[in-house]
Amino acid sequence: MLSLPSRTDRDLYPALMSPVLCANYPADHKAFVRIDVSLRIYWHTLFDICPELLELSGPDGMSIFRPFMAWAGEKKLAFDWSYYLWVYVWLRQSPFKERLLADDKYLRSIMAASAARWAILDRGRDCGIVIGCADTKNLVIGWKCRSVRLGREIELIEPEEPLPAPPDIFGYFTLQSFELDIFPGWQSLAR
Amino acid sequence: MRLGFNFTLGDTYDMVQRLIAERHIDYCEFLIDNFFCVDPNELAKAFDCPIGLHIMYSKFLEADRPTLVDFAARLRDYIDALNPIYVSDHILRFSHEGRAFFHLGEIDYSTEYEFVRDKVLQWQEIVGQRIHFENYPSIMDGGREAPAFFERLMKETGAGVLFDASNAVCSNRNCGTPFEAWRNVIAGAQHFHVAGYRQSLIEPFISLDTHAEALAPDTMSFLENFRSVFDKPGATMTYERDDQIEFDDIVADLKLLRNLFGVAEERRHDLAVSA
Ligand SMILES: [Fe+2]
Ligand SMILES: [Fe+2]
Repeated sequence: MLSLPSRTDRDLYPALMSPVLCANYPADHKAFVRIDVSLRIYWHTLFDICPELLELSGPDGMSIFRPFMAWAGEKKLAFDWSYYLWVYVWLRQSPFKERLLADDKYLRSIMAASAARWAILDRGRDCGIVIGCADTKNLVIGWKCRSVRLGREIELIEPEEPLPAPPDIFGYFTLQSFELDIFPGWQSLAR
Repeated sequence: MRLGFNFTLGDTYDMVQRLIAERHIDYCEFLIDNFFCVDPNELAKAFDCPIGLHIMYSKFLEADRPTLVDFAARLRDYIDALNPIYVSDHILRFSHEGRAFFHLGEIDYSTEYEFVRDKVLQWQEIVGQRIHFENYPSIMDGGREAPAFFERLMKETGAGVLFDASNAVCSNRNCGTPFEAWRNVIAGAQHFHVAGYRQSLIEPFISLDTHAEALAPDTMSFLENFRSVFDKPGATMTYERDDQIEFDDIVADLKLLRNLFGVAEERRHDLAVSA
């Protein structure tokens, strides 16, 4: 018998993003399966797009996924387009730090994933986003879909004259046209 | 019944063109807010067929008014350029306490009715037209309250329901919502969705609205049993496919639907004129 309320999805909202709370539900109950479905999407959103991270964690990803989700819960991260960037922030202060920084493929993949997520999910008027990181001079740009035959586009830029490093690990700015012709300064990630 | 296909991003452009050319579909449904940076006139010329507009991320239950007004202003440009058969949106939760769901959440139909009704009235007023709201593929038992909720919502707001038949099948399998409970909603709806679903990986199995597989036998028999309630002048049914996009598989399902509903009246007229 389940003592926790589970009549509606709404009863489960907090658990839908928390592996810790999920564990309070008996595994043979529909509520557990429903929460599991939700958590799997967070998992796939991370590791299907950045499969390199599984090299750090091992194939089930759990040594990254569980502690990251718990940390994200404490920090009340919004899980917006910057989801991947926060994974990097977490990895950088985790036991994975050394291996993470030893190869820049992780950072490249993470920045591209967040740029793509912005390009697909943002509904503001901006056309593009530029993401910078204190650990690299390279920039990643995400462009929204600009033609009916195209999807979003992601660009890696290695600028000849690097921009100043963002004050935090990551910074970003958005572009009002399909042209990278401004540098209005870095914005910090919102939680 | 006119049949359509959902067009969500550029990569299926050529396939949709072929579906239209070979007359497997009669119209196309744009996930319109994915294209807000595409010129409305380019979009209007993209396909030579009628268009439906499906909104994914207005988040009209959660967004503040200025955000919605700005969203609607851009949407309006597409409504004006495309003259769509319908405009539709979703009743669901995108976040909880400011934190986003990646698998979107269902609302509580019994405690949130008044809240949703007011938001629906406001959203239709901002957009300046009737909107058709889609039902959720319920998992938890609260989903049994959905049919009465949508019936009342239509009555009290003038909104339409975009009735997703396979979402109702998931709801039937997951929480036992009887098909019969939807009869009035289906009768009052003109615009429909249908797609494949799959089971969860772990038990007790639940059915998930994945849009990645063939139409299931229980979806087909639901459509057969309620055929005359679904079909009506002006009715549309969009076949949704977001993954495992294989032309032949999609055509096979579209043929099942064509066999069930017959050639749309508008098309029959078309054929007679050109014959
Ligand atoms: Fe669906
Ligand atoms: Fe649908």
